[in-house]
Order: sequence, then C-alpha cells, then structure tokens
Amino acid sequence: MNAYIITRDNLRTWIDALIRDYTLVAPVREEEKVSLFKPVGSFTEIDLNYTNSTISPKGWLFPQTEEMFFFFTSDNQINLEDACKPGTTILFGLRPCDVKGIIALDPVFNGTYQDCYYQMRRQNTILVCLCCTRVERHCFCNSMGGGPTNGEGADLLLTEMEDGYGIEVLTSRGEELVNKYHQLFAVDGDNRVSKTRDEMGKKLASQFSRKVDISGIKEFLDQHFELPYWNELAQRCLGCGICTFICPTCHCFDIFDQSPDGESGVRSRCWDSCMFSHFTRMAGGHNPRPTKKERIRNRFLHKLKYHRDRYNLDGCVGCGRCINKCPVNIDIRQIIADLQEVARYDQLPLS
Amino acid sequence: MKVQENLRDIARKLLVNKEATLVIGYAPGSEVSRVIPAFIRKEEEVDHLIWNPLCVNNLAKYLLDYNQEPGKVAVVVKGCDSRAIVRLIQDNQIPREKIIILGIPCPGLLDPETVASRLNPNTQILSASLNEQAFSIQTEEGIFTFSRNESLLEKCRSCEHHTPVIADFMLGEEIPPANRVDPFEKVKKLEDLPVKDRSDYWDKQFQRCLRCYACRNVCPACTCRECVFDQAEPCWIAKANNLSENTAFHLIRAFHVAGRCVDCGECDRVCPVNIPLTLLNRKILKDIKDLFNVPTPGTNLNELPPLGSFTNSDPDEFM
Repeated sequence: MNAYIITRDNLRTWIDALIRDYTLVAPVREEEKVSLFKPVGSFTEIDLNYTNSTISPKGWLFPQTEEMFFFFTSDNQINLEDACKPGTTILFGLRPCDVKGIIALDPVFNGTYQDCYYQMRRQNTILVCLCCTRVERHCFCNSMGGGPTNGEGADLLLTEMEDGYGIEVLTSRGEELVNKYHQLFAVDGDNRVSKTRDEMGKKLASQFSRKVDISGIKEFLDQHFELPYWNELAQRCLGCGICTFICPTCHCFDIFDQSPDGESGVRSRCWDSCMFSHFTRMAGGHNPRPTKKERIRNRFLHKLKYHRDRYNLDGCVGCGRCINKCPVNIDIRQIIADLQEVARYDQLPLS
Repeated sequence: MKVQENLRDIARKLLVNKEATLVIGYAPGSEVSRVIPAFIRKEEEVDHLIWNPLCVNNLAKYLLDYNQEPGKVAVVVKGCDSRAIVRLIQDNQIPREKIIILGIPCPGLLDPETVASRLNPNTQILSASLNEQAFSIQTEEGIFTFSRNESLLEKCRSCEHHTPVIADFMLGEEIPPANRVDPFEKVKKLEDLPVKDRSDYWDKQFQRCLRCYACRNVCPACTCRECVFDQAEPCWIAKANNLSENTAFHLIRAFHVAGRCVDCGECDRVCPVNIPLTLLNRKILKDIKDLFNVPTPGTNLNELPPLGSFTNSDPDEFM
C-alpha cells in the first residue's frame, strides 16, 4: 500500500478540511488528567500528544446510551421510526490498542446476529490510527499481540516524524481520505515512513514496565472454572463499573424504554456492567452470579477465555486503562501472573 | 517503620489468641505506587501487612462484608478513615463490640501519581519516613525524597484528624492537630460565582460521568441494602447516560449522604473521570456546619448526626 508524508502545517490544513467535510472525532484534553474522544470543530482543540484516552473510544461505535427507535401509537397501531442515522465519522488519532479493541468488538456485533446499529456506525466510520511515541507504565499491548506502532485494522496509520507525519494507507477507504486532499501530501518514495515506524517500534519495545505471559492461560482456565483465587480477588473488589466502562472491548448492554405518556417514547440501549450486583438478576430475584466472586471471575474469563473461545481473539488488548483506574489495584497483568503461578504449583481446590 | 512493626505484632497476637478471625489492612500492590486492601486470616500471612504513605484506601467499608463473621474483625484506620468507623457504628451497620480498631496516627499521605512518576514501578518500598519538609522513601534502588509541599496528597492538606478519633490499639504516637488549609476554600470560591457559572461548571463535570457508581460503592455512608439507583421499580433514575440523569444521580447521592459524609475523600479519589465530588460533599458539609454548629460527622461516637437527631435548639426558620 502507498505511503505519504505530510508537513505539520499541511496536517493542520488536512484536519481542518476533514472537519469541514466529515464529523471528526479526536482526542481532546478535557481536564488536567482527563482525555476524551470528542467531535472537534477545529485543529486546535485536538491533543495528539495524549498517551491514552481516559475512556476508550468504543463509544463512537457503541454509544453508552444509544436510541434505537422511537415508537408512537395512532389508529390502534404501534408505529416505529428509526432513530440512528449517523453520517460518516472519522475517528482520528486512535492508538493502536484502541484499533485492536474495535477489531475485537466487530465479531460480537457482526456474527450470527447482525447488529444493525453497530454495523451502521462501523460502516460509516473511518479509523485513523496514530502510532505511540511513548509507553505508559500500565501499557502492555505488546503482550497481547499488539504493539505501539502496529496499526493493523485501521484505514490509515500515522507516524510522527521529525518534519511532520508519515501516513501509511492500509485500506481503500483510507486511500480516499488521502486522494481527496492529495495536494497536501508528498509521496514517500524511499520508505522513510515505515523505517521511522520500525525504529520507533524497536525503541518503545524496551520501555514496557512489565511483560505479561498469557501462554497457556486460556487452556488452564478451560480446565479450571472454580479457583479459590477468585475469592481472594473478589474480597477487595468494590463492584463498581469503572473497569468495564473504560474498557475498549467490554460490550454488555441493557435495553429499556422511556415513555412519559405511555403512548409514545423511545427504546434505547445502554452500557451495562457485569460487575454490578444486579447484572444477572432475573425476574423473580434469582441471581446466578450472586457474589463478587462469580462476577469478577466472569469478567476475567471473558477477557482471557470466552472471547478466544467465541472469536479466536483476545478479549484484552493491553491498553492498561483498568489497571490505571481500579481503586483497589485489581491489575489484569498481576492476575495473569498469579494464574500462571496457580497453574504451575497446582494450588487448586480438591478436584 | 515502627508503626508497621507494631501493626504486625498486634495483628499476629489477635489472630494467634483468636481474639480476631480477620485483620483488614494494607499489602503491597502490583506496582510501587499502589497498595491493596489485604484480608489476613492466618498468622503466617501477617507479614504481608504494611504501612507506608501510599496507604490511601479507606478500609472501613469492608467491615460491611463481614458483618456475619463469627469472630471479631480488626481493621486498620487512619484519622480520616476512623470517622467512617464511627459513622458505621452510629448507623447500626456494625456492632462496636464486633470490631477491633487498629488506629494509625497519619502525618499525611503521598500522592501516588507523584511517586509513580519518579520510581520504577517494579521496585519495592523498604521503608518510609516523613519529616516537616519531605517524605523519604527507601526502595531497593535507593532513597528518594519527595518534598512535602509538592507531593502531599491533596486531601491531606486540610486534614482534620491525623490521629484516629476512635481506636482499640493506637499503633503510633498521637499527632496533634496542625495548621491546615481551609477545607472549604474551594467551596467558597465556587459559591462566589454567579449562578450561571456555577451551573456551567457542574454541567461540565456531570456531563462526563460514566455512572460507574464507584463513588457510591466506596462510600462508607452509602450502606443501603438496595440502592435507589439499582431499583427497577420505581425507576428513580433512568439508565440513560445524559446530563439530566447524571445530574439527578449526583444530587441525590450528595443529599443522601448529607450530614453523614465523613469527608474521607474516597469518592473523589476513585472517580475515573475526576469529577470533584469532594467539592459537592463539602458544600453540604459547610452548610450543615453553618446551620447546626456541629463537628464533621463521625468525630464523636456519642454525638448523633444533626440530620439524624432532633433537639429543641434546631433552627426552625423554614417552619
């Protein structure tokens, strides 16, 4: 595929043109320590120097609250009206781990059951990935099959260079985004972009604070559903939804209707969290995951086993958000290391 | 590290003599700047317990998970956390005789982010000390000093009780009240703004709330068996995440803990999107102090919260 180079000035022009022609969603520094993906109105609002957004950008494909359709009654009939009609959106400046998060969500909403809401947004969204230039202390994407300069799954891949940005075209959709404004780009004739990216990748590879070994973890969990370890972990879990809500791959939702008059209203869906005590509560009150132990086990089995079982993809991309934000230091890297220990020393219940 | 030694000695005695079946304290976390709540039941695990200036969590609320425990539960508390113990006892959430309070006079904590920015995450803290100017942290890689002024945790700047207000064992020497920053400084600044600006300020904060309920779950004043926000019938707050529902959530939460919030700052600490919840709680705390001239809730075991008791001298201008 083709590669181009764009100067910093032209990048600005390009982004302002994209803002004019599309909805551009990019990282914005909301507060001193809060970085969010938001629609922007000009280049100056964007913070490309961010390391990882506080909340993953998955909400632009799978909003926290999404109106599915409106309903109203007339002539003894119930009428439905579509609610979601998104235009073309560019997710600009995604980090490689977040692209990988979207790739992990795709088969969930695009499998046996085709989720028209996700599909509609996904088809109308162009992913522009930005290679990392530093590694945060919670990052471990390189342990989960990704890497800070691995933009696989994106439409365009940007690499910061001394004199601007390198742009590698990964799909035809990405190519269009360049072609439309071709006067801003110079063709990269001598592979400078991929060389710079490779160098950056090598440099960053040594900066990870922790390497995680997930080999054999899924196979171990296949055989061991009950482990006293989950009890240990559950003791300190607060049962809040931080980890699931900021995670790029968590995707549980709940559907509900809002109707002020009983005659008309809106059906929406909204993120739910398997860490909430009422998540699996059924009509009548039975709850198959009655304590924090079952709930925390479910979350980590999802990340380390179920997603692999179902889609042959890891359910964790190593973005490190949950590690950073968990108020009681439940650290998935540590859990993987602990499970390796449990597997090695066979500290298991009598089975 | 005398406090840590005392802590381990007492924890060991309590478990060996079967005076307690469980000790809730702190243990090293997955990286140098973090600690984890630890639940110690065996004598041989006692040496996991640590005390250092990164022990930020308030452990009091975990007592609720063990209210059916056959034996006594011992819990480690700092000054701020100890008010939560009083709170839980006053709310009849835990019987006083079922708990053993291990009080640690705390001179102030280090901001974990500051520590994380300077230390190798994979090193271990060997010892820690604090003088008037600086924290000194000895790790496997040397001694690191952090200026008190720059590295003190924000909430500790206005610390009201360095020494726990209630304890069965005091694990260090009492620390007298010191000069502190006015805890209501920021509240007053916000109060002075025009209504429109105040409204805009909170809209911006609540807009990004994720409704993860971490602030509720960590709060020692939030002890309802079923929270109103979890009720499906009636549905007080819709699950939809928008400014209107988020604002309703935050205002209901703040008013539910009004007069019972012990100002431990945990809600503020855990919020993943940095909503300044302390500011909201302190506004109510300030109003209650102004109205009823009472100490911060949880200060005295024998003094019931103003909104949970009645006296003839209560102000009644609104009647």
